[in-house]
Amino acid sequence: MTERPSHRAQLIGSVAVGLVIVAVAIAIVTATFGPTSAAELESLEKRQKERTERLEERLEHEERLREERREGRD
Amino acid sequence: MGDLVERITFGNAVEVKVVLASVALALAVYQLALISVGYGRVRPSFLSARAASWTHRASGDAIVVVLVVVALMCVSVFGFADDAVLHAVAGCALLVVLAVKIAVLRWWTSAGRFLPVLGLAVFALLSLTWLTSAGQFLADD
Repeated sequence: MTERPSHRAQLIGSVAVGLVIVAVAIAIVTATFGPTSAAELESLEKRQKERTERLEERLEHEERLREERREGRD
Repeated sequence: MGDLVERITFGNAVEVKVVLASVALALAVYQLALISVGYGRVRPSFLSARAASWTHRASGDAIVVVLVVVALMCVSVFGFADDAVLHAVAGCALLVVLAVKIAVLRWWTSAGRFLPVLGLAVFALLSLTWLTSAGQFLADD
């Protein structure tokens, strides 16, 4: 028969198992949420806003170039 | 209090509550395994009844802290909503039975023979509270 580990080792081992259970529970539950957290949605909104701003700036720049070209022709 | 919870959780009060409640439930399952070793119902070669009982107590203390935090978050953010009567009743009953269990452990030691029943009641009520809130939330997700 195998010898039982020391009392201290048993305590450390059983507490470690508890910590692993906590970590696994957190990982499984957070994995099911997906990208729905407020922080992620906020960052998504921020990225969309920046993209829209860049697009508007590009359109304004193109418009300005078109006007300059038109003025140059006249 | 609700604003504080929303600020601390960065607007993810529900998600944080679901994670904490799930951690408590997972640890509660572990508690059942530990106490079966503690009472000598299961005798693994690698864990003594004394060590299992010590870890059961330590893990139980952690679960109490988690459950109190979840209860405070729940009441401050959601209150007692009409559409979650079963959840509210099960949650309140859970805290009452938990308080009785702690009282038996610390002060009414003569009522120690009721600890297994109280422990099973805590587990059943925790499962019901989780199923009627976090379980539903995860199922809908």
